[in-house]
Amino acid sequence: MRVVRRLALLLLGALATPAHAEDVLYLYIWNSYLSEDTVRRFEAQCQCRVNQDYYSDNEEMLAKLEAGATGYDLVVPTGFAVETLLRKAALRPLDKARLPNLANLKAEFREPWYDPGMRYAVPYATTVTLLGYNARRLAQLGLPTDTWALIFEPRYLEKLKGKVTVLNSQRELMAAAMKYLGYSVQEIDPARWDEAKRLILRAKPYWATFSNSTYIKDLAIGNIWLAHGYSSDMYRAQQDALEAKRPFAIEFRTPKEGAVLAVDSFVLLKGGQRPDLAHRFIDFILDGTNAADVSNLIGAGNPNAAATPHIRPEIAGNPGIFPPPGDLRRLEMLRDFDPKTRRILSRMWTEIKVR
Amino acid sequence: MTERRSARHAGGPGESLTRWLVSLPPTLFLLVFFLAPALLMLGASFREPGDFGGLAPARQDGQWNLSLETYRFFFGDWIYAEIFLRSFLVAAATTLLCLVLAYPLALAIARSARRHRDLLVLLVILPFASNFLIRIYAWIIVLGPADLLYSPFAVIAGMVYVHLPFMILPLYTNLEKHDPALLEAAQDLGADTWTRFRRITLPLSLPGIWAGSALVFIPVLGMFAIPELLGGTGDILVGNLIKEQFLESRDWPLGATLSILLTIAVLLLAGISAWAGRPRRSSP
Repeated sequence: MRVVRRLALLLLGALATPAHAEDVLYLYIWNSYLSEDTVRRFEAQCQCRVNQDYYSDNEEMLAKLEAGATGYDLVVPTGFAVETLLRKAALRPLDKARLPNLANLKAEFREPWYDPGMRYAVPYATTVTLLGYNARRLAQLGLPTDTWALIFEPRYLEKLKGKVTVLNSQRELMAAAMKYLGYSVQEIDPARWDEAKRLILRAKPYWATFSNSTYIKDLAIGNIWLAHGYSSDMYRAQQDALEAKRPFAIEFRTPKEGAVLAVDSFVLLKGGQRPDLAHRFIDFILDGTNAADVSNLIGAGNPNAAATPHIRPEIAGNPGIFPPPGDLRRLEMLRDFDPKTRRILSRMWTEIKVR
Repeated sequence: MTERRSARHAGGPGESLTRWLVSLPPTLFLLVFFLAPALLMLGASFREPGDFGGLAPARQDGQWNLSLETYRFFFGDWIYAEIFLRSFLVAAATTLLCLVLAYPLALAIARSARRHRDLLVLLVILPFASNFLIRIYAWIIVLGPADLLYSPFAVIAGMVYVHLPFMILPLYTNLEKHDPALLEAAQDLGADTWTRFRRITLPLSLPGIWAGSALVFIPVLGMFAIPELLGGTGDILVGNLIKEQFLESRDWPLGATLSILLTIAVLLLAGISAWAGRPRRSSP
């Protein structure tokens, strides 16, 4: 495994070394998180090239960096992964003198717990883990749409048997259960974990499957009527259903008990060769018109106040994408657990899967 | 072919040297890329998980940080063993279904006119032309409306579909070589169709059956994409379990322990298969 990875990295290293002196910014970012258009505008402005590599989750990115991947200037981790990279001393502090557009950020994103004083991370986009649903089906069944009870309470699930998916993620599903039970997503009290496990096991027979990606299509087609997932994915399912002219609409909202908020930020890696370009890129993205792209493109929330006027009104006004202040107070970000706790949780998760 | 035959006729040390030189690179390749990762895994299985994933340092403050803790954890209850057992059952069911489906087809191809055979074999491997994940997604579309998606049935259907060619090809290779004269002789001696199959074709095709079974059983055992995409809430297999340890839980020692135990199980099975499929001189 390691050897294979080393080889892959060698190849990567070979690619990352430019054949001739050219201005290239190496960016390691989520799949489809940056529009082609934004990149082209930046390339034209800076007379340089942006080279992107992609990952589909934080763990994949951390694992690759842990294994020694070098050459990237910028990465876009979620809050807890910023903390991980910080504790590994892998990040380069920001030079705020080179980021005049930093003033565009909304006040509520300026003091993240993982980076007090915003010394390393510049927030780029946000997503909420919430419930997406087939609005027509749920209305026909007379079900509420604003509570986690929908995926946990048999009295609702009886009407939805086999039409519900939940995330195939220990942390996210536990967080939903904890929120429903009125606890914090960081809860590690064994008695409360046990309570959450019983809640999940009682609901599990009604769920169709654990799904991290197929729910987008299943919702849009109508196979699934209710899904636990990410707001940006729900936005895509909504657009897909619209484009396919389905007789139903996909909608999504944050349950009233609260939910998980993910904030993805740009951070500079110590090993990056071009901090100058990286700063220019961050400042370029911080400009309102450019910052708006990520919301318009994938329906992500935006921490940038200057972006708001450039975001399409149906997106800017969607409380599932842009949580109103009342919702925001009930949202929590995930923090990483220590290895022992991770193992206990993983053991419990396996038990949930087997039962 | 003729070259090899002439080399054999020439005999002597030159021939054996050539044979060694030719087979050395693939042997080394297999050895290094099987053994090295397996040893790394074995090492990792005795270590402790790192704070952020990866592994904690093996040596800290002048003390070795190695233990059997992860193995104790694995054998501490039945959960993990249960998933192993379940994976073996799914792999066995897939292998059996593949065999039942593949045998008649392989036999039909082997007995068809020689000029059609290459085309038929080509048709068998044609699905490989498109990506495996795309074909699995196609199953989602096929099974979704029928309400069969997200069930053990869907998992087995996907597994059989993907692995069927791996059963057909070794069976065909074996069946094609059978000497038709044997069957004619049996017929002359009064054996009916069933008896000829049971007493001649089937015993002669055993090496093909074992080879095909190993080629299906072993990859199915480690498969994680199909249960993840087609399976329901209870369809977790050992492949999913291992993947989860390396990514979501970032518990490399547990992932390594699971991998090592799976590797041992697979090697045992491959050994049994090779032993059972070894060429035999006397046939009943």
